[in-house]
Amino acid sequence: MQTDNEQLSALIDNEVVDKPLVDELIIDKMQQTKFARYHLIGDVMRDEVAEPLIDIDISEKVMAAIKAQAPSAEVTKLDTAVNKMPSAKRTNIVSLMHRFGQYAIAASVAGVVVVTTLMTSPSVVENNDTGLEVLSTVPLGGAVTPVSLQANNSKSKQALKEHNERLEALLKDHQLQLQLQP
Amino acid sequence: MKLKLCFRVVITTLFIVSSHFVFAVEENVSVHVNDTYAEKKKSLTAIEYLQLMQKAYKELNYELLYLNSLQNQVEPKQLIHGVIGGQEIAYFCYLNGAMRESLQFAGKISYFEQGLQAYSLQAKHDRSVFANIANFDFVDGQSGYEYIILGKGRIAGKESIAIRMASKDEYRHSYIIWLDVNSYLPLRLDTLNKSNLILEQVIVVSLHITENVNPWLEKLSRQQLPQLLHIPQAAQQQAPQWQINWLPTGFKVVKNNQHKLVMYKNEPVSYIMLTDGIVSVSIYISAKKITLDEKQKIIQRGATVLYTYQNNDIEVNVVGDIPVVTAKRLIESVAKVD
Repeated sequence: MQTDNEQLSALIDNEVVDKPLVDELIIDKMQQTKFARYHLIGDVMRDEVAEPLIDIDISEKVMAAIKAQAPSAEVTKLDTAVNKMPSAKRTNIVSLMHRFGQYAIAASVAGVVVVTTLMTSPSVVENNDTGLEVLSTVPLGGAVTPVSLQANNSKSKQALKEHNERLEALLKDHQLQLQLQP
Repeated sequence: MKLKLCFRVVITTLFIVSSHFVFAVEENVSVHVNDTYAEKKKSLTAIEYLQLMQKAYKELNYELLYLNSLQNQVEPKQLIHGVIGGQEIAYFCYLNGAMRESLQFAGKISYFEQGLQAYSLQAKHDRSVFANIANFDFVDGQSGYEYIILGKGRIAGKESIAIRMASKDEYRHSYIIWLDVNSYLPLRLDTLNKSNLILEQVIVVSLHITENVNPWLEKLSRQQLPQLLHIPQAAQQQAPQWQINWLPTGFKVVKNNQHKLVMYKNEPVSYIMLTDGIVSVSIYISAKKITLDEKQKIIQRGATVLYTYQNNDIEVNVVGDIPVVTAKRLIESVAKVD
């Protein structure tokens, strides 16, 4: 083998032109690739190679290796999940819930938050209870009295909070329905 | 000394006379302008003004800077409107605080907010600042409103005319619309309650009309819009479960369905929407989840009212820009469909 290589090298360098060797080269595939590679090495060393000529394509080998491993269960599972995603409307709905605050603000209901704070801290409102302007912000019908407030306080702060959340959701839904009018 | 005093008197008199003369000339000019002006516009009725306003709002290229104020809060906003290839395009932006923008174009509305992913919604309706009056059928609306020219004034440096859109009954708010007498664009909108208190006000501070569409809008119109969100549609196959037995004049029911509150635990609600073209009212009927101390609760903010009423196991909520009395009557008229 070593002698073959030497001979090949000599052939490339135009040192030996040996007819049987050339014949052998034409038949032997392995020798051919070697011949090509030696030429390439020579070209690179002489800096004569054009960029696209270096065509070391390993992708085929990598793909083959992957194919060999493909039956591995996890890989296929993950793949199908990813494929499903774009068509599923559910993802859209979830993201809408997250982003809905934004929609409501855009729809100019930013004031809702203020309403809620007024409701949860009626004592503050009570102190300001002088002008008409402020009066109109206070819940009108059955306005919360201090007594009922105290009775309420420990009992259902959580319930009140939940109720306000629901009211806010209603206001946002109202805005959404306006947008979706037929 | 005496001569000097005399001289001063003469000078002062001269000055007074000359300034009077200047004023007189100015008055003459303005009177003249008003005369031709009156001739030109005298024929226009309130409805004609309003219809010209609607046309201008939809067809012109303009930029509005305006303030939206309710209950001592003022929010400056911007609206740029244009027409590209026969299609309206409108860009809206909050000028203070976090960037909040929206773009309405080609049947879609897109929302952009700092730190959040942008998205689009299907939007057939223009919901920009003056959209409700710009899309109202004023001729049909005469059943509920009366239009009266109040007089002239000056808004955003423009000569403007005020038209009162007065409700004929106590079941809706009244409005005063100010519009530019030259371009007919709306410049101010006051929402008034029965006792003429201003509940909400939109007031333009700068109006800029251009011949060509704003280059920024042109750029936006070519941009790829964010992903379109699909909002779960109401279950159409289900027959309405509730109805209302009373409607204020001019209102009609446009929706009656069952849907879920996407923002609140996907709670199912029965839903009725009614509109008179200017305001839309939502009625939610649901099972009572949290018992309130009172049977009813009213929250008002600006012109918007949220009326909650609980009875046995049922809770009814009414949301809309209507007086409390309307909300109350609507709730009383809610009945189960047989």
